[in-house]
Amino acid sequence: MKTSASAPVRQRWTVSDIVVASTLAVASGVIFWGWNVSYHAVSTLFIAYPPTASLVGGMWLFPAVLGALIIRKPGAAIYCEMVAAAVSALLGSQWGLSVLLYGFLQGLGAELILLLFLYRRFSLGVAVLAGASAGLAGGITGNWIANYYQYDAVGTLTHIAGFSLSGAVIAGVLPWLATRGLAATGVLAPLKSRKAHREPAFGRADRAAVVHAP
Amino acid sequence: MQTAPLLSTPHSMSTTTPEDSRTPGRTVGAGVRVTATGLSYRHADRPQPAFAGLNVDIAAGEKVLLAGASGAGKSTLLHAIAGVLQDDDAATTGELQLDGLSPQQARGRAGLMQQDPESQVVLSRVGDDVAFACENLAVPAAEIPLRCEEALEAVGLGYLNLDHPTAALSGGQKQRLALAGILAMRPGLLLLDEPTAHLDPEGAVQVRDSVIAAAQATGATLIVVEHHLETWLDEVDTLIVLEPGGGIRHRVPAGTLHHDRALRTELRQAGLWIPHDDVLGALPTWVPPKPGPETAAAAGEPLLTGKALSVSRVSPAKSWRKGPKPQPALTGIDITLTSGVATGITGPNGAGKSTLLLSMGGLLAPHSGEITASSRVKGDHGAHLADAPHAWHSADLTSRIGTVFQEPEHQFVRHTVGDELRLSAERARMPGSHEPLFTEQEVDQRVDQLLHRLHLCELAEANPFTLSGGEKRRLSVGTALAAGPEVLMLDEPTFGQDAHTFADLVGLLRDHLDHGGTVVAVTHDQHFLHALHAQTFPVTGAASLRPASGRASSASSTPLLSSVRDTSWLGRRGPLGKLLALSFITLALISTIDPVSAAVVAAASFALLPLANIRLGTFLKRIWIFAAAAVMAAWGAAIAAEESGRVLLDLGVTTISEGSLELGLSLGARSFAIVLPSVLIFSTTDPTDLADSLAQQLKLPARFVLGALAGMRLLGLMTAHWTTIGHARRARGVGTRFHSQAFGLLVQAIRIATRLAVTMESRGFGAGERTWSRAARLTPADGLVISGGVAIAASATALAVIAGTWSLVWM
Repeated sequence: MKTSASAPVRQRWTVSDIVVASTLAVASGVIFWGWNVSYHAVSTLFIAYPPTASLVGGMWLFPAVLGALIIRKPGAAIYCEMVAAAVSALLGSQWGLSVLLYGFLQGLGAELILLLFLYRRFSLGVAVLAGASAGLAGGITGNWIANYYQYDAVGTLTHIAGFSLSGAVIAGVLPWLATRGLAATGVLAPLKSRKAHREPAFGRADRAAVVHAP
Repeated sequence: MQTAPLLSTPHSMSTTTPEDSRTPGRTVGAGVRVTATGLSYRHADRPQPAFAGLNVDIAAGEKVLLAGASGAGKSTLLHAIAGVLQDDDAATTGELQLDGLSPQQARGRAGLMQQDPESQVVLSRVGDDVAFACENLAVPAAEIPLRCEEALEAVGLGYLNLDHPTAALSGGQKQRLALAGILAMRPGLLLLDEPTAHLDPEGAVQVRDSVIAAAQATGATLIVVEHHLETWLDEVDTLIVLEPGGGIRHRVPAGTLHHDRALRTELRQAGLWIPHDDVLGALPTWVPPKPGPETAAAAGEPLLTGKALSVSRVSPAKSWRKGPKPQPALTGIDITLTSGVATGITGPNGAGKSTLLLSMGGLLAPHSGEITASSRVKGDHGAHLADAPHAWHSADLTSRIGTVFQEPEHQFVRHTVGDELRLSAERARMPGSHEPLFTEQEVDQRVDQLLHRLHLCELAEANPFTLSGGEKRRLSVGTALAAGPEVLMLDEPTFGQDAHTFADLVGLLRDHLDHGGTVVAVTHDQHFLHALHAQTFPVTGAASLRPASGRASSASSTPLLSSVRDTSWLGRRGPLGKLLALSFITLALISTIDPVSAAVVAAASFALLPLANIRLGTFLKRIWIFAAAAVMAAWGAAIAAEESGRVLLDLGVTTISEGSLELGLSLGARSFAIVLPSVLIFSTTDPTDLADSLAQQLKLPARFVLGALAGMRLLGLMTAHWTTIGHARRARGVGTRFHSQAFGLLVQAIRIATRLAVTMESRGFGAGERTWSRAARLTPADGLVISGGVAIAASATALAVIAGTWSLVWM
């Protein structure tokens, strides 16, 4: 245990990575579909100030971070988010094929954070940042790229901030907890996240691995 | 330091060398020779190696039965030979060669079959599934159909249509289909990992015979791992026994086992099923409890009675959709379960035995007829409970009738073994109140006692999912017992168990019977029935005549889950053209928020229904939910948008004005209109064809497209797991809790996905260039589809501009 020099990080996706990511993404797509259908009813709860409806927007972002935390390879966030979006479009969506654009940009938002940490850190902080970044991307897409919303300046900023906050919680904290729970069951054994439950909530994953090595 | 094997065991405890063993089929050139020298492997994070210092030489064409105690590294060795061990941090040393090549280099020479039939199928149609491996290995497209035909013929599935849905196959058929997929690669080595563990006896024999016939015909080397040695022993040449954590312990001609007493004893002690062994004699003697004086009143009393019973997985009352009523799996059942007796529900696969068990267990409502629980089952505090157990609260059910599921993991809801047992005891309630049935002290006591009885004391803090197969089985029985039910229901409790875990299970159940309990089990296992002196209740429903084919049709309302190709005009067009047409229409709609362009697209969609052969009524049924969502969207936008024009309605916190209403209606109309063409197109597009097209024509990476397609096929399976996990939660007395059920499903989804990944990789997936047995290309008719899409998009925009409602959202 004299050195903590990390072995070359294998970044090519294995077949397990692909199939697990796909399965998660497809299942998320079905959840999207159900959420899409019920979203408009839920959004009326925010009648007092409609731009705050984005506080539940994290429901559209969780596959990106969940996929990234479980697979831990470049592209996982974008892939999971896009496949989930594509599946919801295949099942029928009120946004039609435009969900592919949302999926790509939201996935990209999360992906950039993981890239920033060179795919080496998957702590709670990184997950929260990735979720928030996905929300930021989603807000920007909705307000300025697809121009789906027509709020005034304050409304637009509120909407984007709310999206980001929602992403941090629903698509940041929750996927992080789910990944730890899954790692504890041992089902992640063929994947890079197999030791996620033994990593500290904050700090570097590779240091933790050294500490816990037999 | 990571690479050194931890154990320095002598290279092999085997006293025989490869030269001693028979080498039949030496003239056959097609078999692969497998050699291992000093091979060691340790999983990441495990202190002990799976095997270490292993030396073996298996001749080309040799048929080997690979045995060893549970956890002796048999599966790991098989995976290593198949070249599918994928563990970055694992430590491997030594050399393993297939005809002088590394397993990775020899990809396609070895085919691997695992035990779970569900994860052996990759694609949703029989023909595609068999062709999958050939495509991955870049077999020329023209050659693939012939190979598929031959392979299906060889496993006795030649009568199936190539478009037959794989979801409609029985477990045994799925295993034979997997064999066909492997044979189509023309491998020189067949690797089978307990291929019949999940099958009924008939299915098991068919699979075994197909495997042997294929090995004979092709001269391929065969290595099969199995606990039930008698299934294979007389069909193979060699018996190899692994030393747990070491190398080869024995390597003998297979026939030796029939007369070598020492070997028989040794393997028996390792928990293997020995041919012609007296399984029952090996168990402790046991006399079923006689109705003695103190129990005379109780014994033989009816507990649960089913009269004129029909059972079905799908509740007849529940469906809001019209259409053909779900057919019951079994009808005309009269069954009485008496106290203190073990009953075995027997019958062929697909006869509805498990459905009957779940119905009697109060987890499914009967399709028709009635189930009555006697006052004895209801117990001292339960006089006011309804007669039918399915009407009870889950907390009342769990302390009266416990159910043990075929897959123990479906029942796990806690993070440690101790908590699992504690939960069951805590959840039990006095009926009609929230008073716990057991005091805190009693709960502690029950948990302690059970940990001892289950031999799980040392594992009390372990995560239930990380236990071995036998430990999981014991725990699943324990979780049912902890709530103190009189009746214990079990679904195929002996599947995949070795002789040791079998004996443990029988011991637990005999104990339950001794304490006045009742046992009901769905099983094919004659040993199990005899060991419990069980009476049998044979089930031969008319349903058994149609093997599971009803399931596929019930899922057909969602095109993604159906594997039937659409035959309409639009259904026969290529996916790429349709996708392009849809893109144009979508672009026209999202670039503006106006009612006119939305109306044009909606009108066009309805007008084009005949092209998709969809009747108006069917279409409306599929889109009503989007119409409802659109109304909500219109309302939401109307209250959310800024006030402009006359105020129509003042809601206090917000208002609806002329301007906001107009915006709301436009937005609602748009979100409705955008769905229609996509429903039209995707309900006539087959996912497999779409994937073919995306990978071949749009050049998306094939590994990912096919991975997504495989994930999509798992959806149907996930739905089934979701339902079962829900039943298991009710049986545990935790009612339905969404997050716990969702987590349970997530675990199962990942488990199945990783097994499926092994299957796909062992069939050459992801290795490199691949061919496509079906070429996807654009035809003139596809041009028509594309121009149709352009025309709709253009006219929608043009009419909106003319009407003056068109407003570009990017302005």
